[in-house]
Amino acid sequence: MRNVIVTGGSRGLGLEVARKLAAEGYRAVAVARNMNDELASVIEQAERSRPGSLCFVPFDLACVETIPELVRNLCKQFGTIYGLVNNAALGLDGALGTMPNSDIERLIRLNTLSPIVLTKYVVRRMMSDGGGRIVNIASITAFTGYSGLSVYAATKSSMIGFTRSLAREVGRLGINANAVAPGFMNTVMTRGMDEEQREKIARRSALRRFPALEEVADAVEFLLGDKSKSVTGTVLTVDAGTTA
Amino acid sequence: MSIKGTVISQVEEVRRNSGKPLRPLTNDLVLLESGLDSLGLAVLVTRLEDILGYDPFTDSDITVPPVTLGDFIHLYEVAGKSHYVDNGHTE
Ligand SMILES: NC(=O)c1ccc[n+]([C@@H]2O[C@H](COP(=O)([O-])OP(=O)(O)OC[C@H]3O[C@@H](n4cnc5c(N)ncnc54)[C@H](OP(=O)(O)O)[C@@H]3O)[C@@H](O)[C@H]2O)c1
Repeated sequence: MRNVIVTGGSRGLGLEVARKLAAEGYRAVAVARNMNDELASVIEQAERSRPGSLCFVPFDLACVETIPELVRNLCKQFGTIYGLVNNAALGLDGALGTMPNSDIERLIRLNTLSPIVLTKYVVRRMMSDGGGRIVNIASITAFTGYSGLSVYAATKSSMIGFTRSLAREVGRLGINANAVAPGFMNTVMTRGMDEEQREKIARRSALRRFPALEEVADAVEFLLGDKSKSVTGTVLTVDAGTTA
Repeated sequence: MSIKGTVISQVEEVRRNSGKPLRPLTNDLVLLESGLDSLGLAVLVTRLEDILGYDPFTDSDITVPPVTLGDFIHLYEVAGKSHYVDNGHTE
């Protein structure tokens, strides 16, 4: 079974990715802080159809200092790591002028610093094992401005710059690195948006709707699969045409 | 095998795949002229971590990176001592 680590795999997009990967023959290892009912029931279903295809490892990814230990333990527990999906992120919004510095720091720590450090330790393993796949979850906020999202957008565009240069660095070792940029999706992260805001964004998109979680998870699965062997250093936008 | 012996045998193994002409491994050999590039070094550090159980580049604050093979081996020997003490082993 190919092992894929999915950070933030306990709900929202990460859980959908983990569920899909488990159904497609991978072993998805969901890393997040807390177990919840939805995750428990998805694990139970996966366990019934293919034991060991979806596992949960509790870990706070803001604790960057202990990431090397996390990777060491993951390798011990599961063996070779084939793929890493850097999905966990924080979605704080607020005008920059009044945003507490502690919030700015939390955003950059979880959305930029943590995935870079995690990738460092995982990619070293992949180099030594002769290949692998990295998928970084960015966002359309990296390309289009939204008032109140400047810091969040900065962290998301940083993942795109990171992806492109990393792809060049590790390509000759058989490692592909790509990013997926979803448009707005219905998850806990966007529950602060009211109906009017949702409708406005949906109306402005080419397809007049939000992309479904499953559709974004399909893009992630494509970038992990054998059909995307020649795809690296790129960004796959799945936004129902919001940025078209 | 001693720490030094382990490091040298892994350097040999990793650089064998580099396709570059290989110089003999001596203490004063500059690491980046040993047939290992920065990616090779990353692979080497990961393999040594698997074998020895520690990674001096993560476990301690190294401000000056090792230049020669001798420096590199020394780093592993020093880190090895504290690793074994921390884990309750005696040499
Ligand atoms: N929702 C959108 O509209 C949208 C649009 C574009 C891009 N994205 C991107 O898509 C990705 C997923 O977003 P989402 O909407 O699915 O978010 P979400 O519903 O808020 O889920 C976030 C996930 O990250 C985990 N997480 C949060 N803090 C963590 C920490 N300190 N350590 C470990 N895990 C942590 C959460 O689990 P715990 O709380 O249990 O730790 C959860 O599993 C993110 O990268 C986001 O930037 C989202």
